[in-house]
Amino acid sequence: MEYYSPLMLCVITVAALDICALVLIIAAYREKSSGRKRWDRISSSMELVEQGYTYQLGCDEILIGRHASADIRLSDMSVSRYHAMLTVADGVWTISDLGSKSGVYVNGVRIKKKTLHENDTITIGSRQLVLRKRRNARDE
Amino acid sequence: MSNPFSYIFSCLFVLLAHSTMLFNVYFNGSYTDEHQVFVIAAAVIGLDIVYFFLMLFFRQHTYNVDFMLILILNMSNIFQSCFGAVEFDHRHYITSLAALLASRVGYHVCRNHKWIQKQKVFIWIGIGLLAAVIFAFTGSRSMWITFEKFSIQPSEFMKILLILACATSITEQQNKHTVLGFSIVWENVILFFIAAGICLLQWWCRDLGSIPTFMAIYAAGFLLRICYPKAKFSRKTLFIAAGAVLLAGLVALHFAPDYVRARVFVNIWDDTEGDGFQQSRALIAIAEGGWFGKGPGKGALSGVFAHDSDIVFASVCEEWGLLFALMSVLMILILLSAPLFNPPRSYYHGTMAAGVCAAFTAQMALNIFGSCNLIPFTGVTIPFISTGGSSMAASGFMAGMLIAAQSPEFHKPGKKKTTKSKPGSSTKTAAGRSAKTASKSGTRSKTKKKPASSGRRAAV
Amino acid sequence: MKSIRRCQRIITLFILAFIAGMGVLVWKINKESPFYMMHSDNHQLGMVYDRTGGVLFDGIGKGKYEDNYFVDIGNLIGDDKGQMENTLVARNIDKLNNYSFSEGLIREGGQAAIYTTLDHYANRAVYNIFGYTEGCVCAYNYKTGELLVCVSLPSIDVTKGYDNIGELKEGTLISKNMYGTVPGSTQKVSTVISALEIMGRDKLFSKSYACNGKYINSSGKEIVCHNAYGHGVQGIQQGIENSCNPFFAQLIEDPDLPLSKITEKYRKLGYAVNDDEMKYIDIDGIQCERASTTLVDSGDFNTEWACIGQGETLVSPIQLMMWQSAIANGTGKMTMPHLIDHCTNTYGDLTSYSKTTYSEQLFSETTAATMKEMLITNGNNHYGGITSSPLAIKSGTAQVKEGAEENSLLVGFVDDDRHPIAFCVLMENKFGTALTAEQILKTLLDSLSS
Repeated sequence: MEYYSPLMLCVITVAALDICALVLIIAAYREKSSGRKRWDRISSSMELVEQGYTYQLGCDEILIGRHASADIRLSDMSVSRYHAMLTVADGVWTISDLGSKSGVYVNGVRIKKKTLHENDTITIGSRQLVLRKRRNARDE
Repeated sequence: MSNPFSYIFSCLFVLLAHSTMLFNVYFNGSYTDEHQVFVIAAAVIGLDIVYFFLMLFFRQHTYNVDFMLILILNMSNIFQSCFGAVEFDHRHYITSLAALLASRVGYHVCRNHKWIQKQKVFIWIGIGLLAAVIFAFTGSRSMWITFEKFSIQPSEFMKILLILACATSITEQQNKHTVLGFSIVWENVILFFIAAGICLLQWWCRDLGSIPTFMAIYAAGFLLRICYPKAKFSRKTLFIAAGAVLLAGLVALHFAPDYVRARVFVNIWDDTEGDGFQQSRALIAIAEGGWFGKGPGKGALSGVFAHDSDIVFASVCEEWGLLFALMSVLMILILLSAPLFNPPRSYYHGTMAAGVCAAFTAQMALNIFGSCNLIPFTGVTIPFISTGGSSMAASGFMAGMLIAAQSPEFHKPGKKKTTKSKPGSSTKTAAGRSAKTASKSGTRSKTKKKPASSGRRAAV
Repeated sequence: MKSIRRCQRIITLFILAFIAGMGVLVWKINKESPFYMMHSDNHQLGMVYDRTGGVLFDGIGKGKYEDNYFVDIGNLIGDDKGQMENTLVARNIDKLNNYSFSEGLIREGGQAAIYTTLDHYANRAVYNIFGYTEGCVCAYNYKTGELLVCVSLPSIDVTKGYDNIGELKEGTLISKNMYGTVPGSTQKVSTVISALEIMGRDKLFSKSYACNGKYINSSGKEIVCHNAYGHGVQGIQQGIENSCNPFFAQLIEDPDLPLSKITEKYRKLGYAVNDDEMKYIDIDGIQCERASTTLVDSGDFNTEWACIGQGETLVSPIQLMMWQSAIANGTGKMTMPHLIDHCTNTYGDLTSYSKTTYSEQLFSETTAATMKEMLITNGNNHYGGITSSPLAIKSGTAQVKEGAEENSLLVGFVDDDRHPIAFCVLMENKFGTALTAEQILKTLLDSLSS
């Protein structure tokens, strides 16, 4: 028995460390939701809507275009491959034109760079997108 | 604290992990004076509790990296205090305090990419200065600058600056210039030359171990960059680049000086007293330790040079067992995988997290696989586990970068007030501004709700 | 978002690559740790036992043994000090490693052991009968391949260390059984086997040659017989019983026995002829030389002597013994000797068993039967009284040190299913002692049958 006690101690230590790691991972998962809430605050809980289809705005730089690497991919020949970029700072979204052929229109006005407000309509090629509050955020 | 339950449970289980380790030291360790065990216990548990208390004042989104950091640092304190004999290791304790401090600094410096992108020029100046310092003071003599009492390794801090340089330059991909028919992004070119320059400098001062780390950081930055809009890198280009790196490595190996080749091609079991001494001792120590170890303080590896830094994995294996050593490495991996649980919200934070992950895994791989004779042996450290002030501070700073990637700030510089003391205020100003500019009354009422809810969170 | 997912994918890639590396590392450590442990100062070896459970090597070092207890098999079993490379312990040190990675250093009670096929009692008896005479003896069970006796003198008790390594006699640290020696007339067995294979039994038995003490060969050189008065006209049976050199010289020169065919048959028996590379027998890791010779031309003096057993022919005693097994088995296939019966690991679990294996067929079954008959006749006529069972035997006298000394050899086997023993006895410098090889053989067979 005396011979096995160091072994048992070692196993117990490893087990304690593993449980601790597990608890921390669970805590990290739980913090995930608070991180999402915090992001909602930064991004003002905005989303882009196009005829019933919604695009989440999950990071601070969002590329809109026809290219496969675009975050919001609009498969339409009237849209340039790298068309426009949405950025956020201080809870305010800004759209900028990345040198597209057909241009970016906000509420019908062609712009190079413009701060967006809720319910603004963005026209990219022949597509129309609306920036609005997330539905569940509005229901809060 | 957003979630008091997870905070309390995390605290309790970190304390539990440390206490079982200390029990192991007390019942299973080799010591002459049991006061030493109590000193270690007091230092470790005390630091835990103080840090948990201080954490209440941190304004972050998530705290899991902080918990992992204190878990790993105090685990490392217990490891380092037990090598050879149980005796409290002051030096390592102080450097782990420095690492904690550095993590706070790193968090505050790196969390806001709008701000740090304005300071980009300072990062480049920093790289230049550090390179000049390495060139002037360390040279080909050694990789250390020795002052009166302690010595620092400037190349450790170069890792931080390279990660920051990679992360801050990523949004410049839009600014293409056409030179001689090629479309070129100046920052990419500059970054390439910085990375190449650092590698050449490290080659020159014989710190070959850190070159793969820098290359891994650059590779992470490069891989994220080529996915960036308008970067226009095809898969073919990627393969050509990888092939070029491989070829360069082989050519470098072919023309490497003799002492490098001797290191690369040494058969350690033919030369157990010469070039293979450390590695063969390390492997023997791992074999003697087995899965469950000899017991803290009972290791025989402590007589070997660099037992607490370059071959620290073997030292831990010998005293605590391979199982525990693997678990402690797993803890670092969990620390690194924080961005997988809670995704970074911008290219800058993502690149930074990937860069830190690349640097840490490269260092761990070089150290562990090197000391176990899978790859050539190089003198790099395992972050947080190995001793060494520069390494600990730099690793702490990089952990701070991970915290920053978890808790990003998106303010434009100059337009915000300080956020540290009043967490709700920035949202307030932003909300106020948007309220002013908002054209619809519905928006106003919604945005006004926000400060109240965030204020409630801060009070918890 | 895609950018986030990309970043997470890269982080996952780095972490997974690292984990894969760790997996390889753990696998490698698990597999190679006994090897690492061999380099440790703390490693502990297990025991080597003989077939009755007597200790032959004590790696743990707790046992008490009388003086020179291990001397008889000292240079076969060896130790781990690195002085004796071609020994059982040195070649099988991994099997003796009292270590398992799952428990690290096992403090007490490791049970790693090698159980050999040796008979320590017989080895001691043979060692003792030699006295101050030098030489070597090997014997094995030709049915199972178990090596029972493998004594080589001078020898050393490994427990006494190597402080006087400079004063040790030549050959102390090796087992002479494993190295080539001049076979003398025992070579004639190989030559007769070759002749039987080439000419066939009837043709060989029809041949007869005259001996009048010496023979002038076709190149004008003189081949002398040990009997100065000559043996007269002999057939093959008398030739082999008399071990008559002129008889064999004439046999080699016989046009029915072309040298190219002899060379071919010799090679098949395992000889490295002329510039061939030396071949080895592997006995549980111990390297044992086979045989080598130089054959140039049928009428050449040295070639004839090589086939008679002098000249440049060298054969290891183990090989001589193994050829006897091929005759004794009646199949023309040698039984391969082995030394390790089974092994246990540190927990006492059986790890490896030995199996009886045979070589490829060296000669036909009729050749084996004829050879067996000839050797048993020789045994009955000249070596009665050594055993009650039929004894097949061929003696030999080998001149060494340019004729200054003569070695006595006896090879053969006991044709008895209860004691199927093939043997080779080599006694060096027969004029320096009153002992005879027959006495050694009798001691060997008596001690093995008791």
